Amino acid sequence: MSLTLRILCILGSAITFLVIASRVRKARVRIDDSVFWIVFSFALLVIAIFPNIPSFFARLFGFQATSNFVFLVVICVLLMREFSNTIKISTLNARLDELVQEQALQAMEEVDDDQQS
Amino acid sequence: MKTLAVIPAYNEEDCLEQTVRSLATACPEVDHLVVNDGSTDATQLICERCGFTHVNLPINCGLACGFQTGMKYALRHGYDAVVQFDADGQHLPEYIPTMGAAMEAQGADIVIASRVLAGERIEGARGAGSRLISTLIRLTSGVRLTDPTSGMRLYNRRMIELFAHGRDLTPEPDTVALIARRGGKVAEVPATMQERQGGQSYLDLPHVIRYMTRTCASILFFQWFR
Repeated sequence: MSLTLRILCILGSAITFLVIASRVRKARVRIDDSVFWIVFSFALLVIAIFPNIPSFFARLFGFQATSNFVFLVVICVLLMREFSNTIKISTLNARLDELVQEQALQAMEEVDDDQQS
Repeated sequence: MKTLAVIPAYNEEDCLEQTVRSLATACPEVDHLVVNDGSTDATQLICERCGFTHVNLPINCGLACGFQTGMKYALRHGYDAVVQFDADGQHLPEYIPTMGAAMEAQGADIVIASRVLAGERIEGARGAGSRLISTLIRLTSGVRLTDPTSGMRLYNRRMIELFAHGRDLTPEPDTVALIARRGGKVAEVPATMQERQGGQSYLDLPHVIRYMTRTCASILFFQWFR
């Protein structure tokens, strides 16, 4: 792993951590939802400080360069995250629809009751 | 047969009043429910002023969600059939009794008002899309539908329950195909339609591409494991 990549990893880690910390402080992100990014930022830092760890796995799996291995891992992690977000958003939309419908139908019945009484 | 016309309306101030009035005049025995899907124009005011039965969704949540609201209402108020009816004046209420008669005579779960059976040829890209969907439905479910994209459909009690409780059941051709493949009976009756009488069509290119991709993917892939 080149020195440039290590510095970029540290920068990425620091920026991720600072941004997510400030969002949590302003209550824009719930602590529950920030866990992924804290772990992600920490992992980048570990990779940058101990490049032997990714090098070991890169050699184990037969990668030509450690950086290739690091890129692949990061892409995979983010794709998995994106996938789970899609499912989460779908679920949220379904629940939102349900709430909207129930609220609207109940409000309608209240108006009907008022008119009858 | 106690029938409810569910009329989804999103910013339909131009023609909603005329649509509901002509429905009430042509079919006094059919009740209506306007589903005001978070409109930002005078749709709600018109409903209140004219005394239309209506339900106001607090936000715009889309056709499928709005239509499902109508199905839930129909289920809770004991309707035997629901007709999906456009607010823009495209659909002619005169055909609702014909569709109801076909439903009873053929024991159909869904009756579609087909422009093609009435001798109309749907022109241009819209027609090509419609024929493509027809072909896909015939190949996957063996059911011949001449006008799958017709938005005027009558659903029986079983379908009302299915739509009210179901997840991700859009009032669109892919759901009709799914129901047909699962053994539901889908019938068509000839019917003419009008040009839309006002309001905005959402058939611009990005919407069309999205609609076609979604519909084709749903018919070709997803219905096998839904």
